[in-house]
Amino acid sequence: MKKILLATALAGIVALLAPHHAARAEATVAPGASVDMVLLPKFLGILPFDQAHQGAEEAAKELKNGKKLQYLGPTPENSVAGQIEIVTNAATQGVGAIMISNNSGDQIVPAAKAAKAKGAKVVTWDSQIPSAEGEDVFVAQVDFSETGKVMADMALHILGADGGKFAILSASPDAANQNAWIAAMKDALKDPKYSKLELQGIVYGNDQSETSYNQALAMVDKFPGMKLIMAPTSVGIVAAAKAMQDEKLCDKIKISGLGVPSEMLAYTKNGCAPEFALWSFVDLGYLSYYTAYGLATGAFKAEAGTSFKAGRMGTYTITKDPTRKAGLRVLMGPFSLYNKDNVEAAAK
Amino acid sequence: MRWLQRHIRPEQIREFSLLLLIVAAVLIFGSMIDGYYTSRTFNRIASSVAIITVVAVGQTLVVLTRNIDLAVGSIVGCTAYFTGAQLAAHHGLPPVVAVLIAMALGCAMGAINGALVAYGRVPSIIVTLGSLAIYRGILIDYSGARTVTTDSLPKWLIDLPRLNFITIGDLDIRAMFALAVGIVVLFQIGTSFLNVARRFYAMGSNPDAAELIGMPTRQIVFSAFVLSGTLSGLAGFMFLARFGNITVEAARGMELQVVAAVVVGGVNIFGGSGTVFGAMLGAIMIAILEQSLFRLQISEFWRDAILGLLILMAVASDAVILNRLRAIWSRTELKLVTRPGTGAAP
Amino acid sequence: MTLPPILRRWEALLLLMLVVIAGLNIVYSPFYLGVGNIVNLFQLSIEKIIVALMMTLIIINGEIDLSVASVMGLSSCVTAYTFHAGWPMGWALTAGLASGAVAGAINGFWIAYVGLPSLAVTLAGLIGYRGVARILVEDRAYGGFPEWFNQLGQQPLLGPLTFSIIIFLAMFVFMAVVLHRSAAGRLVYVMGNNVQAARYSGVRVKRVKLLLFVASGVVAALAGLLYSARLGSVRGDMAVGFELDVITIVLLGGVSIFGGSGNLLGVGLSILVILNLRNGMGLADITGNTQTSVIGALLILSVLVPNMARGLHSKLQGRET
Repeated sequence: MKKILLATALAGIVALLAPHHAARAEATVAPGASVDMVLLPKFLGILPFDQAHQGAEEAAKELKNGKKLQYLGPTPENSVAGQIEIVTNAATQGVGAIMISNNSGDQIVPAAKAAKAKGAKVVTWDSQIPSAEGEDVFVAQVDFSETGKVMADMALHILGADGGKFAILSASPDAANQNAWIAAMKDALKDPKYSKLELQGIVYGNDQSETSYNQALAMVDKFPGMKLIMAPTSVGIVAAAKAMQDEKLCDKIKISGLGVPSEMLAYTKNGCAPEFALWSFVDLGYLSYYTAYGLATGAFKAEAGTSFKAGRMGTYTITKDPTRKAGLRVLMGPFSLYNKDNVEAAAK
Repeated sequence: MRWLQRHIRPEQIREFSLLLLIVAAVLIFGSMIDGYYTSRTFNRIASSVAIITVVAVGQTLVVLTRNIDLAVGSIVGCTAYFTGAQLAAHHGLPPVVAVLIAMALGCAMGAINGALVAYGRVPSIIVTLGSLAIYRGILIDYSGARTVTTDSLPKWLIDLPRLNFITIGDLDIRAMFALAVGIVVLFQIGTSFLNVARRFYAMGSNPDAAELIGMPTRQIVFSAFVLSGTLSGLAGFMFLARFGNITVEAARGMELQVVAAVVVGGVNIFGGSGTVFGAMLGAIMIAILEQSLFRLQISEFWRDAILGLLILMAVASDAVILNRLRAIWSRTELKLVTRPGTGAAP
Repeated sequence: MTLPPILRRWEALLLLMLVVIAGLNIVYSPFYLGVGNIVNLFQLSIEKIIVALMMTLIIINGEIDLSVASVMGLSSCVTAYTFHAGWPMGWALTAGLASGAVAGAINGFWIAYVGLPSLAVTLAGLIGYRGVARILVEDRAYGGFPEWFNQLGQQPLLGPLTFSIIIFLAMFVFMAVVLHRSAAGRLVYVMGNNVQAARYSGVRVKRVKLLLFVASGVVAALAGLLYSARLGSVRGDMAVGFELDVITIVLLGGVSIFGGSGNLLGVGLSILVILNLRNGMGLADITGNTQTSVIGALLILSVLVPNMARGLHSKLQGRET
């Protein structure tokens, strides 16, 4: 069994990945097969997904797949219908594996089931299928319940022992991973350790810079006494930081959440967003590719307890997903916490 | 009153009825929200209105000629991103040049639309529905999924949104809002008094007649789109300054906000009547509704339903007020000898 | 059906485009001609093309309905909400359809009886009806509908055809008869050409307009329910942004945005052109903005090229005489 030890030391950083080798022999993924594979982001044109594509291409090269990886995605305003269309067309073409960052909740289920019925392996990454129907395995970037704790820890660390009021700026009300993380954070807040933290409300910026910016400003008026905006979305967190900086409110209201280091650099250095977290999307793409390739070539099966070696990233084990009622997961991790000491290096 | 009625048509003072509604809205919200009458409320509304207003001025000119420009959101996004990328790469670029780059790019994109509509005789809704998608597609290819970030931009640009034009007591009038108002005033005067600009109205009221009396209808339509594009380019620059972080999704969907402002502002969608001042009032009305609704302690999920209802009410009560005014006018007109030249607008 | 010659030429152009696109698809994709793919081709956009049929009538009538996608969302959310509140599925579906009728009636009232522009009213509807849907479902997702409902949306019913496709075909025939063979259909055109003339000739303009918008609401609601059945789950953002695709289909079909002209044959061909194009590009792994850009360019070129050809033609003739 592999365990992720998440050490969210107050000083920031560091989580250790400590794979404990299973008793069962681990599967080796043989390079050189020819498998049609599709990498499907929520939509095109956003940096994290491009990084995942980069990671997947790296894995494709290592595994010497004879077929070119297809990076296909819908436009953001047509994300749900577009994802369903792409999965359906991929199934028609008889591809070997589809890797989905699911933006459609359970609405993707009929299309994913149809793809599986045609022999394709369906691997989700970044964002899972909530009911796990039509999905072989979910490559989770981090443990979703851990995300709640990490966010609560960051809030407590930034606000200090006395705590204070804070509010959440999320993506859209339908974003499955943001909703899961927020639910996990609400759960975590029940711990007496966080009793001084008071969640005032949740606001949605629809993952659009300008909406998020305006919402962040409006939150200042709507939530009197708010000391922190927690934004578990890379679009929202930058927009909120810029909004507070523009209104010269950085002394009173801090920003935290999940963000991309290169986009957050300025705000972390000037103290608007003293601390935030993320994981590597390059690694997530890389691991997703290895998982999907392994399943599609039959190197291993999507069963709890199966271990396999994913190139440079080491050994991973498929387990039951404890954060959902059903489904399997491969847990990547770890969280990286960023502050003024390490953000510059990470931004490069 | 007589004098007023003789010199002004109800259509010309419809902005007045909208102004009444705005005052009413502010009074109502002011009584419901603590600390509503502050300079901060003013600033929030003013800065959110500034960019939409500049685009809405261009849209008004297009709509006056019986056309519509749905590509404005994509033009704003493209110019914001492209100008941002240039400034990030060349920090020494003088501000004036940056603004000119944005406007020139917007102008070129508007000119393509205009040429297709005016000289290619393709309906504007088809042209701009198409270029809405094409311009955004070009942007996504050009950007390679990278974001223009605030820290890559020169300092003067980041400080621009906070720059005050003038401070009256507690009230800061930001430069960007002043610029938007300046543009409205400029175009309002132009379309009211310049013969060249009056043609927008003439052509929109009756394109066939305008063509018959030898008006260069094609040039008029073309220039409306060029102006709309250029103003969208300027708005793109303002967008860049205000939001700093520009993704390829910047300003997606702005066309609907702009059309809403224009329609609420009383510009006739079938051309020929309405003013740029009205469009600005429409933008202000919507911004007040949005900002105030947010500050009321109501659920996040109720806002859109209420916003839709309020927009409908604004449009409906505007129509009712206008009809009343028309009735008063025609009643007194019966008593007066009808003056030539005041014949009802179509 | 007698049509002005210019319209006949428009349909001929669409037919030509269709033949070219289908030809390219056959040559470049071995999967295109499969029965499953052809069914998918319709099934993936079935709700949009159902709404497009009704939108054709609205636009010919000289109006527009921007609220259709929000009404689709509203009806699915009403059905999901009432079903999860314990209503039998049949009643929940009826409530969904009724919500569409009410939304359409509200639109129609302000447009027909108060005389507000349809663009303004339905723009408010686009925001407002989506807002009502949001109030009902908030940030939740509703699934767990009865098996028959999901199967209706996902499984073939008659041969390879699904329920939605059968509905579409039936509606196409019905609307073609209404629009082109009935007095009511003639009214739709007359009002689109000249409302004043229609009013003087004794047509109950207001009632006809109201009915059209109610029908538009009901059809959009039906499409929303079919969409829920196909996806098996409902969220607050169902069908967001569909209105632009629907309007694109109708306009490419040669319907004038100013009303009074266009026909269902053109719209039918336009549906086939766009669906085949999307499918072909999908099978060629062209997605995202490239796909929408190509459709955008096609939209512009389909009007521009014939215009230019006509211009050139008349210039050449001018030189001869």
